[in-house]
Amino acid sequence: MSDLDTAIPPGWSYNPATWTQRLPIVGLAILGLAAATYLGLFQLKLIPTVWEPFFGNGSQKILTSGVSKILPIPDALLGAFGYLVDAVAGLIGGIRRWRTMPWIVILFGIMIGPLGMISILLVVLQPVLYDAWCTLCLFSAVISVLMIGPAMDEMLASLQYMKRVKDANGSLWKAFWGYKEVYEKAI
Amino acid sequence: MKRQFNMWAQIINAILGIWLTVSPAILGLSDDKTISNNAHIVGPVIASFAVIAIWEATRVVRLYNVPLALWLLLAPWVLGYDQTTAIINDMVTGVAVLGLSMVKGKIEGTYGGGWSAIWHRNSLHTTEARRQPRV
Repeated sequence: MSDLDTAIPPGWSYNPATWTQRLPIVGLAILGLAAATYLGLFQLKLIPTVWEPFFGNGSQKILTSGVSKILPIPDALLGAFGYLVDAVAGLIGGIRRWRTMPWIVILFGIMIGPLGMISILLVVLQPVLYDAWCTLCLFSAVISVLMIGPAMDEMLASLQYMKRVKDANGSLWKAFWGYKEVYEKAI
Repeated sequence: MKRQFNMWAQIINAILGIWLTVSPAILGLSDDKTISNNAHIVGPVIASFAVIAIWEATRVVRLYNVPLALWLLLAPWVLGYDQTTAIINDMVTGVAVLGLSMVKGKIEGTYGGGWSAIWHRNSLHTTEARRQPRV
């Protein structure tokens, strides 16, 4: 068995934690980060206008709406922070991280899941509440939905690994944080 | 070693969700708030679930679109649509999404027994782990 083969989770036909699996998600997160940062700078009034090729003053309307100001910091900046965590969590660890650091894989999955859900919610709110669309907001939503599917397989591999540790009466807490003595005994 | 994308049924459902979202504008129904709000809420959600279900490990998410499709079949009567175009649009889209959500498509990879393997004993990943030599 080659070194790469041993990184494949048991019962899987491929390893969901390889760089070819993870880097496209990181790339999407960086695109999302760029778009959300730009929109956030507009919301902070650091740039005077916002790029909007299709919907007239739609972007302005959405980005200055009541919903965008519910929290003390502009919603696009929160989105940008989410994408940043996604990108960093996508880069940390090697190709065995589903076993050696489940916490980062699960954080990665949890950040991508809810961020995607919030994006869908915001897409729904735009036309329903404000009768407007915002091109870059839609672009950001498409990106966050695209990230969900590819990130979930790695989380599944981590959760299955933790289930095996639990069945072997190992410490789930230690498995979650990637204690060496746990992952060296369990595959 | 690769992710599988061969899921035409979910790709069509994603397009149908986007169609539903833009249909009030294209069919000239934007003035009717009931019709357009329903399309603007249900459309993006259908498209999102369909996109997530393109990948094999999350193919099961296609079933989340079943209740949404059933709602599209009921919505014209529950919400009292008075525009024939909107009724036909919701019914046709609903039937198509319902049918395509049922299509599981090809699953070429194995995923250790999938999501239910997180709480079931003796799933594929458990039995395979027992067979593998410790590295």
